[in-house]
Amino acid sequence: MKVTVPQQQLAHGLSVVSRAVSPRNTLPVLANILIATDEGRLRLSATNLELGITCWINARVDEEGSTTMPARTFADLVNALPNDQVSMTLNAINQTLTVRCGSSTTDIKGIDAQEFPPMPVPDPNDGVTVRVGDFKEMIQQVAFAASTDDVRPVLTGVLVTINGTDMTMAATDGFRVSIRKATIDNLRGYSASAIIPARALTELARIATEPEGLISMTVPAGRGQVIFHMKDVELVSQLIDGNFPDYKAIVPRSFKTRTILSTAALLKACKQAEIIAREGTNVARLNINPSDIAAPGHIEVSAQSEQTGSSEAMVDATVDGVPLLIAFNVKFLREVLEIIKTPNVVIETNAANSPGMVRPVGDETFTHVIMPMHLG
Amino acid sequence: MTGMDWKVFGHEWAAEILAVHAAQDTLRHAYLFTGPPGIGRRTLALRFAQAINCLTPTAPGLPCRACRTCRQIESQQFPDLSILKAEGGSREIKIDQVRTLQRTLMLAPYAARYRVGLLLDFQNANESAQNAMLKTLEEAPTRVILLATTDAQENLLPTILSRCEIMRLRPLPLDRAAAALMDEAHIEAAEARRLAHLSGGRVGYALQLHANPKQLDKRQALLEQALSLVQANRRTRFAYVEVLTKDKEGPREAVRQALEVWISLWRDVMLCASGAQTPLVNVDSEAALRALARQVEVSQARALAARLTLALDQLDGNVNPRLLAETLLLDWP
Repeated sequence: MKVTVPQQQLAHGLSVVSRAVSPRNTLPVLANILIATDEGRLRLSATNLELGITCWINARVDEEGSTTMPARTFADLVNALPNDQVSMTLNAINQTLTVRCGSSTTDIKGIDAQEFPPMPVPDPNDGVTVRVGDFKEMIQQVAFAASTDDVRPVLTGVLVTINGTDMTMAATDGFRVSIRKATIDNLRGYSASAIIPARALTELARIATEPEGLISMTVPAGRGQVIFHMKDVELVSQLIDGNFPDYKAIVPRSFKTRTILSTAALLKACKQAEIIAREGTNVARLNINPSDIAAPGHIEVSAQSEQTGSSEAMVDATVDGVPLLIAFNVKFLREVLEIIKTPNVVIETNAANSPGMVRPVGDETFTHVIMPMHLG
Repeated sequence: MTGMDWKVFGHEWAAEILAVHAAQDTLRHAYLFTGPPGIGRRTLALRFAQAINCLTPTAPGLPCRACRTCRQIESQQFPDLSILKAEGGSREIKIDQVRTLQRTLMLAPYAARYRVGLLLDFQNANESAQNAMLKTLEEAPTRVILLATTDAQENLLPTILSRCEIMRLRPLPLDRAAAALMDEAHIEAAEARRLAHLSGGRVGYALQLHANPKQLDKRQALLEQALSLVQANRRTRFAYVEVLTKDKEGPREAVRQALEVWISLWRDVMLCASGAQTPLVNVDSEAALRALARQVEVSQARALAARLTLALDQLDGNVNPRLLAETLLLDWP
């Protein structure tokens, strides 16, 4: 192998793929990054067998070939090189890569590329294509609701369903559900349903940097994998095996109280309540009052902690229905308000012991359901 | 008879059962291989993993042992093979390791048909780690096969046993073990016989001894020293223990190795003294053992062997190894 690449591009490529490197694995080759020539470009790949990232960079290829380099050593070296052309020559016999840049020459010992687990190749005629910006927004609105606890592994994933022109993402940790729907171009009538680890999607949102670019998603049959392909980057994730809970059953259909209020004002009140509530059990009480002779409609957000003190904040609201006192985990409330972009938000509730629903006003695509807490 | 071609010495019957399971795709979700160390439990488990994942099987249920998958499983470097064993200087499998494994097992297999979880010497898992594994053993995710090994099934929780198909592997008769060593590893007849006796019919252990002549020499030296300690005075015995515990592998490991040799020595003496036909372990030193056997009672040899076996447990229970060795030697004739 003999290739020449600009140092900056190589350093960037390595930083993209290095997140998938797993230094402490039983397979030593997984601590390495695969470096291979691929149709006139240089391909960098890393995988921890759960998440795999591949990045292509433009290169001058003088001789085809491939090897794997210890990720840490190679990335540190490339970062230390001057901003110039880096030329890499592989001695295939002893798997040593000679890296030349400016006046420096470094030999690094690698492992044969044959040892590297094969990465799946997506079928370009398969799957659906979505705008990167839209997809990132969907991930941001859903992935945070997935569980971080491994006791129920299915809940650490996000259920992605494609049916006709509808794409749905849903995640739940047992206390809240976040659902986001989108309409997509699906000319080939592709359909799929997969539980993708939330970590993989968060990672995807991190490495997808061009909002106007396109991202294609493919779930090859029988492989237990999902492949996201962008212009220069590809991410492969193993899917989680199992049955996702029927989240649709949790979403309430009718409401006794409907409260519309300013997203920013409620977020501010929640943040204030959280300062007190986080010392205790994270409980914030929402006292919802419709307008009457004495006062216009409002919500009173209050929190109490034996050690810290107590806090109260009033937010003006338009309330339809009966008054209600309900308690929520204020962290959950804050997290959902943070990702709602519309100026107004609607909170729909039934009783103190049944779930509440949070939705942006004027946007039907996003639904968030939170289980209430004991009023205490 | 596919099982014959698995090359697992003495466990053809087990291989046959597993081969049929693999060929007909009637796999259990969990198997447990029991037997003393060095008998071939892991080899059999790995061969089974190959059989269910081999890309180009020679016959149904018979892995080719040549394709990439087979070679990677053989060297325990396969993406879909997750190994759980005591790590990091600890002798115990911890609950965190079990949780990590469960996380991996929840994911669909990377490239193979089945994801294999290999739980090596699962008796080393502490009680909470074993309990944490119960749910997975009962309802393994689809396309996951769990293979556990243990030295004796009594050392696992009954709740673990009831969730596994148990394969009880036994040592080979010595002549068959010797024949296997001669045929497969091309070891000379005399050496093969000696190794078969030393390993007590555990072919894996015999091959390991053969591959490490140093280990074999050390064992021989320990035996000769032990024989010379009989009839020696206390001063010599205590001096010997002092030298022994200064071994570079650490006092605990040194005493453990000595104890294993001593147990085999007194067992042999007991057998000689009782006139039993059971084959001896230290067949090389038969003359010396028989001479010793004439001087001691069967009951005395038996008591010494039993005391030494107990000492092996005490050593794991964090007893001072030097003190232990010294007290043991005080009881010797």
